[in-house]
Amino acid sequence: MNVLSIANLSIDYVGAESVFHAVKDVSFNIAPGEFFGLAGESGCGKSTIAFAISRLHRPPALIRTGSKILVDGRDVLELDDAELRSFRWREVAMVFQSAMNSLNPVLTIEAQFYDVLNTHLGLSRVQAKARAAELLRLVDISPDRLSAYPHQCSGGMRQRIVIAICLALNPKLLIMDEPTTALDVVVQREILQRIDTLRKELGFSVLFITHDLGLMVQVSDRIGIMLEGELVEVNDAQTIYRAPSHDYTKRLWASMPRLHGTPIRQEPAS
Amino acid sequence: MQLFSQLLQNKKATVGVTILAIIILVAIFAPFLSEYSPTQRVGRPHQAPSLEHWLGTTRLGHDVFTRLIYGARVSLAVGFGAGLMITLIGTVLGIIAGYKGGVIDEIINFFTNLVLVIPNLPLLLVIAAFVGQASPPVIAVILGLTSWAWGVRVTRSETLSIRQRDYVKSAEMLGEPSWRIMAFEIFPNLISIVGINFIGSVIFAVITEATLEFLGLGDPNTVSWGIMLYNAQNASALSVGAWWDLLSPCFALALLGLSLALINFAIDEVANPRLRTGGMLGRWTRMVRAGEGKL
Amino acid sequence: MAFLLRRVVFYLAAFIAAATINFFLPRLMPGDPVQIMFAGAGSNLSMENLNALKLTFGFIDAPIGQQYLAYLQSVFTGDLGRSVKYFPLPVTELLARALVWTVGLVGSATIVSFILGTLLGVMAAWRRGTLFDSVVSLLSIFSSSVPAVVISLTMLFVFGYSLGWFPNGYAADPMLDPAFGWSYISSVIHHGALPMFTMVIVLTGGFAVTMRNNMINLLGDDYIVMGRAKGLSENHVMLWYAARNALLPTVSALAISIGTILGGSLVTEVVFNYPGLGNMLYQAILARDYPVIQGQLLIMTAAMLVSNFVVDLSYVLLDPRLKKA
Repeated sequence: MNVLSIANLSIDYVGAESVFHAVKDVSFNIAPGEFFGLAGESGCGKSTIAFAISRLHRPPALIRTGSKILVDGRDVLELDDAELRSFRWREVAMVFQSAMNSLNPVLTIEAQFYDVLNTHLGLSRVQAKARAAELLRLVDISPDRLSAYPHQCSGGMRQRIVIAICLALNPKLLIMDEPTTALDVVVQREILQRIDTLRKELGFSVLFITHDLGLMVQVSDRIGIMLEGELVEVNDAQTIYRAPSHDYTKRLWASMPRLHGTPIRQEPAS
Repeated sequence: MQLFSQLLQNKKATVGVTILAIIILVAIFAPFLSEYSPTQRVGRPHQAPSLEHWLGTTRLGHDVFTRLIYGARVSLAVGFGAGLMITLIGTVLGIIAGYKGGVIDEIINFFTNLVLVIPNLPLLLVIAAFVGQASPPVIAVILGLTSWAWGVRVTRSETLSIRQRDYVKSAEMLGEPSWRIMAFEIFPNLISIVGINFIGSVIFAVITEATLEFLGLGDPNTVSWGIMLYNAQNASALSVGAWWDLLSPCFALALLGLSLALINFAIDEVANPRLRTGGMLGRWTRMVRAGEGKL
Repeated sequence: MAFLLRRVVFYLAAFIAAATINFFLPRLMPGDPVQIMFAGAGSNLSMENLNALKLTFGFIDAPIGQQYLAYLQSVFTGDLGRSVKYFPLPVTELLARALVWTVGLVGSATIVSFILGTLLGVMAAWRRGTLFDSVVSLLSIFSSSVPAVVISLTMLFVFGYSLGWFPNGYAADPMLDPAFGWSYISSVIHHGALPMFTMVIVLTGGFAVTMRNNMINLLGDDYIVMGRAKGLSENHVMLWYAARNALLPTVSALAISIGTILGGSLVTEVVFNYPGLGNMLYQAILARDYPVIQGQLLIMTAAMLVSNFVVDLSYVLLDPRLKKA
């Protein structure tokens, strides 16, 4: 069974006079352990899809009736409030666009692990601290950072802390919404490499969203290309790279500098 | 200009402007609205409201309604006069401090912060007490000279961010003199802040003038809402049951303050789109109820 | 620490500024400053007493610079002169007696309205666009634009005179012995309730609207969305993610508004005939008791500076980014 199965998803932004169709009838699947990329220019609706999966939208966004978002076979759009809360983070965790700013500036790192672990697993402070230290080690951060505040950590470090928080409940799907745009190229590669290793160790799937098609081809198994709210092409990463079928994909490649550098993944995508 | 057309569509602004316009018209046409003189004894003391005296009479037998509509002139004049002065000083100093930076900024900023931590009303009380019985124009000038600090602070911080914009940088490259940049590149972008500062200052001036007069620092011969409050309080209007004497100017002050505050909130909503809620939420709610979708 | 030290030096400068205003005001007025300052005394000042007062306020036979230093010396040694109305009571003693009541009234009203206003603002921002939000906004507009004197008089009329639920003046029943028995304390509460409640009405709207706008400005921030994505309850995100961060600018707004709060308390005390600083000042204004009027500015400034310092301290506690700096 697919980890994520999106069918006929349409999302509107309701204005006072007009309605903006941000996502138009989009369908795609992500298999267990798969690294799926969603590419397109900014404003094409890819982040809107990401927010819809955890149902994080606020008015005036509107997920149209008839849309289906199945996570592990269960329709997210049918969950009530309590079910939704327990679903969030336990099954789908998310790294946000500016992950550097997605830590609460007034809480310690430990507190930001604790609220998740306590809410979902009922862990005590001591238990949560031990688990948080374990998670930080996964991303190569010393556990004594737990008592630090976000502003005391570098941008790359904050990014890795967010990833560690994402892994706290062993989610089935990790969504990364342009997670590396604010970071320099070296840190960016390092983070994606780490995600790739963790994915193989822990077995979660990844939905990776970026406008950087070159970077995406290096890390993804399959790629979807979005244009103005529509999903115009879905294919293997290699096919998207070597033989794009949609005009828009070809134009995207034409507008991008050629790839260089060593591949991010240890073995070629197969 | 876009600001004004958006304001015209804002409900709060419409209500506020309408009330304000009525008060202004009443003040202008006061002599046509009442047959009495505001300073002459026209009835027995403390008569209750009647057809003859719509809002009753004061202890001295003055007609309360007549004094109220003539008093509007003073409140409006002091409010807008002092408001203009406060805004002018605040805007000029704020732009200079924010744009020039360096020593000038530090000096202006230091004095601004200094004025902000000296409590305003107690300071005004001391000054007004030494001036003696302060007439409305004197009160307006005192207010104008002591109450600009808040305006400097907000204008300065906004100027600091505008200074970094491209069009300011390019005007600098072109060698425009700095007064031209401040007046034509920076000031137009501060319109909404200046507007909020101005209306806020008018509210402040109206309230403070009335308060100073109520506390006995005004000229008792003035016909103004503050002096009406002062006289009513001295005549123990409430304990003798002459509520109209005291509550009429109260109501007028509340109405004027309310109309100005509505305008200010509207400017804030138009200038800061995040604060706006508007009609789209209503439409959204209807669509959700109709089962067209969910969050 | 450096941050707090800088603030203390600044507050000292502000206090000297207030004293400077006091020093120059009578000297700037047309006429003889000594005449002006002590006119309220009439004939009950002996030559000897007058000379002592002149010394306190720096009216000495010396250049203006030395006069200024003499005045500053009086102020910093705690000598604010004597009231000419209640001669020979020292101004400090008179003000200290009144200050107790004002601090109690202003302190309790500020705490109650800050908590109430902040909570209302948090909930209005969280339920933006709902009926609750509109009602809070309208109430805020009302309480921030209607003068304190108007609200005070109306409250006194309705609850004091018409309904008779609360007394119309004084801080306690004058018949009771202030030996801190229960009946005295309950009398103080009964007398203080209406002025306090009035101040709460005056202040709450401003706090609510500040908090609401601060909240709305950060509701789109990533850490708020992440808080929701983490599956935390709405209330948890609202309080610990949104409100906790929006509190920072609200607290610094509180520091600025303390002056307005003190001003509002002056008026409320006069209306309710409450024996705090405001009422004392009102009596002094009517009697042109300038030493008391001037002393009031210094006391109010000092009160403002102390409360600002408390706000600074709480800011350091609230914002981890300031602790190390």
